[in-house]
Amino acid sequence: MDTNIDFKKIWSEQKVETPKVEALYAKANKLKSRSFLELIVINITLLLTITFIGFIWYYYQPELVTTKIGIIMIMVATVTFLLPFNKQLSLLKKNKTEPNNKEYLQQLTKLKEVQVFQQTTMLNVFFILLSLGIGLYLFEFVSNMPMTWGIITCALTIAWFAINWFYLRPKTIKKQNTKLNKLLAEFEKLNNQMNE
Amino acid sequence: MNFETIYKTHWQKVFRLCMGYVNDADTAKDLAQETFIKVLKQLPKFRNESSIDTWIFRIASNTCLRQIQKDNKMPKSELPIELTDEISETTIEKDIQFLYKCISELQEVERIIISLELEDMSQKEIAEIVGLSEGNVRVKIYRIKEKLTQKFKKNGY
Repeated sequence: MDTNIDFKKIWSEQKVETPKVEALYAKANKLKSRSFLELIVINITLLLTITFIGFIWYYYQPELVTTKIGIIMIMVATVTFLLPFNKQLSLLKKNKTEPNNKEYLQQLTKLKEVQVFQQTTMLNVFFILLSLGIGLYLFEFVSNMPMTWGIITCALTIAWFAINWFYLRPKTIKKQNTKLNKLLAEFEKLNNQMNE
Repeated sequence: MNFETIYKTHWQKVFRLCMGYVNDADTAKDLAQETFIKVLKQLPKFRNESSIDTWIFRIASNTCLRQIQKDNKMPKSELPIELTDEISETTIEKDIQFLYKCISELQEVERIIISLELEDMSQKEIAEIVGLSEGNVRVKIYRIKEKLTQKFKKNGY
């Protein structure tokens, strides 16, 4: 193509001052400590929850097997909820060398698809396990309560489950998936540009 | 290789690539900074499988591509007016500004390809960075330059 416009010359005229490298170090350290903190907080929460539930088991010595199953289910639910956070991190860190743009876009797409799965299926599993677990767990205590208190406890627990299941769960899933699906569409658009 | 040397020799190049992608000086600076944070982190793992330029530009262009995760609320065409004013107040010359404007009107992948080409990367290197065949890159560069030339000519260049 014959062109007398020297784009390279125009392009290389663009000069900006290089910011001090110290500013970059400061920001890198800040980011590092923040993501480290996030990981710590998540895992400490997990550990504390399990310890706490284990403590109840040990301290109150439940008699019924349902209570024990309930406690285990609550623990499993907690792990199910927190595990994906750790898994996501490993998914991002798996690359040894930086991939090219095409591979990178494919990886991002895959990561988003995993997230969509986690946020729908895993969230459902979490809610079911947690509700069942708490239900079973409460059974022993409620059966030992006076009638009125038993009914009140049951009603409150069921109401709480209902709010979670019919309101919070769909709302959370919808909100997160709308965002993710929009991103997936964007990535697909970029992927298509590679194939044109 | 020493990070600070890399930083000094590559900052301008990376900034220009990001600028070609977003056409906004502040965002481009942020993207360049993000790129170098990744370079800093990954440098101990860098094993010279590719040239350092190719490696850094891969990180930079991937960082740009990821950008949509953050601001897909604000497409380029809807940049607020104040922001455009701000750009023209800086010392960037008109030609450079117009070149960036034209590039920002291209498709995302095209923006990366032309920025790398203008940065004097070989077509083989561009192919390695983007993940396309060399032939495909050559065709794309040809088409993009044609588009840019048309835009410049229309603007009375």
